[in-house]
Amino acid sequence: MAPDTADIESRIADVIQEVLRVNRDAIKPESRIREDLGADSLDTVTLLMALEDAFKESISDEDAEGLVTVADVVTFVKARAGAQGA
Amino acid sequence: MSRRVAVTGIGVIAPTGADTDSFWSSCLRGETRVAGIPAHWRRYAEFASPVWAPLPDIDFGRYGISRIERMQLDKATMLALSASRQALDAAGFVCRVKDEKKGTCSVESLDPQRAGVFMGTGVGGLTSLIAAEANHVFTPLKSSLQQMRQAGAEAGDAAAGPIGDIADGMSDMMIMPPRFNPFIVSMIMPNACSAATGIKYSLHGPNTSYCCACAAGTVALGQAFRAVRAGGIDMALAGGVEYLADDFGGIFRGFDIAKTLVRGELPPERINRPFDTRRSGFLFSEGGAAVLILEALDTALARGAEPIAEIRGYAETFDGHNIMMLDPRATQITRVIREALADASVGGDDIDYVNAHATGTTLNDQVESGVLAELFGDRPLVNATKSLIGHTIGAAGAIEAAVTALSIRDQTTHVCRNLEEPIADLSFVRSVEQRPIRTALTHSFAFGGHNAALVLSAC
Repeated sequence: MAPDTADIESRIADVIQEVLRVNRDAIKPESRIREDLGADSLDTVTLLMALEDAFKESISDEDAEGLVTVADVVTFVKARAGAQGA
Repeated sequence: MSRRVAVTGIGVIAPTGADTDSFWSSCLRGETRVAGIPAHWRRYAEFASPVWAPLPDIDFGRYGISRIERMQLDKATMLALSASRQALDAAGFVCRVKDEKKGTCSVESLDPQRAGVFMGTGVGGLTSLIAAEANHVFTPLKSSLQQMRQAGAEAGDAAAGPIGDIADGMSDMMIMPPRFNPFIVSMIMPNACSAATGIKYSLHGPNTSYCCACAAGTVALGQAFRAVRAGGIDMALAGGVEYLADDFGGIFRGFDIAKTLVRGELPPERINRPFDTRRSGFLFSEGGAAVLILEALDTALARGAEPIAEIRGYAETFDGHNIMMLDPRATQITRVIREALADASVGGDDIDYVNAHATGTTLNDQVESGVLAELFGDRPLVNATKSLIGHTIGAAGAIEAAVTALSIRDQTTHVCRNLEEPIADLSFVRSVEQRPIRTALTHSFAFGGHNAALVLSAC
């Protein structure tokens, strides 16, 4: 069964909050991970590791370059989970 | 300037206890922890030594190490951080979260410019390197095996089934973490254990790691003692750390093939027997850590700390003989003990208790017992902490210094487990009783030829 979209979004927000220690309210789809949520280069690497752990998916360097906003991450994870359109 | 140096806090993680209190009470009960080596190691090689001393489960979160930090830190470093936190808490220091994202703390009532970190380790983050290397090598190999399996199946070859099974078996043996950890450089560098501790607790004094095998923890404590005594700093987090369990048993094999480990037909709980005629080698320990808070006595008393013991003297010598074997003439071992006593301004007759290096190897115990008999006769109590927890390599000297300090505090110490037929006429500890332990010696002798000795006394 495909994972629920709202559940994916919530889990991604959990991971972002855990890694970047930002207020949950600041995590919006349009939030840019670096510019708006304050991630430096090490935070970004850590975030990718934590996302890999959470969703049991590997994220290549090429894929990672496209993950600018929170919405980008959600779209990426949903596509990998086969949940698009669910 | 020469200041008196007190031990005001102790943190220990060892096979027999994940914190100081549980470890020390286990010591006084004479308990050990021995298990068969992990079964899957035998898929890669045969081993002469059948057992090891595994660590208990450790709740790293309890010591302020978050899940995110655990993804970025080597296990040895996490052990160092955990023992450090125990020691700080025991010394009465209050740690406040300074930066939640970085996971750092500040230590109240402490000038961070005058606080240092001195850690000893034998192999640092070696197990992290092995895991990363496994991912590096096995990822393409697993992919090739998968291609081979598919090609065979598509060709409809009669051998495709058995070949596929072999490929699956090979792939199954290629144990690896799911990723090549991007933090690997900071995990494998031997100085990670001291650096991470200095970062975690925002300490800005000297920060050094000492890599001298089985003497590393003792050397780190000795160097910290000298730094505090000389007045350059007021406080040091000092000790030793080790983690030795790689996924394939390769580190274990290195010691096993060198014929240093316990072997033979005795039951697991009786096979490790330092100073006994039937000793066969040392019990390989998964790892451990001990960190002691060393403080200038005046500043410790001024903040209301209760000293556990005092470090009185320290010395180092080097065999210059053989990288894998101590010098049987024992010239430099004898000298290191004599110089530590002189540094402490005590004589041989002042020593009430010796926590021996006592690995359980044939040569070490023979040479060491001879030196102790020559220097002290049968006057001091002698015991072997390795008879309980095995050999934790870089952590060993620090764990044994912790035992020495606790023995002085409680005026009692633990037995020599499995000592049935002693090889020398020394006063080996046979029962846990109240004893007058005012001044004590603990020393370590390492692969490489490093010798180090500490003298402690009641404060």
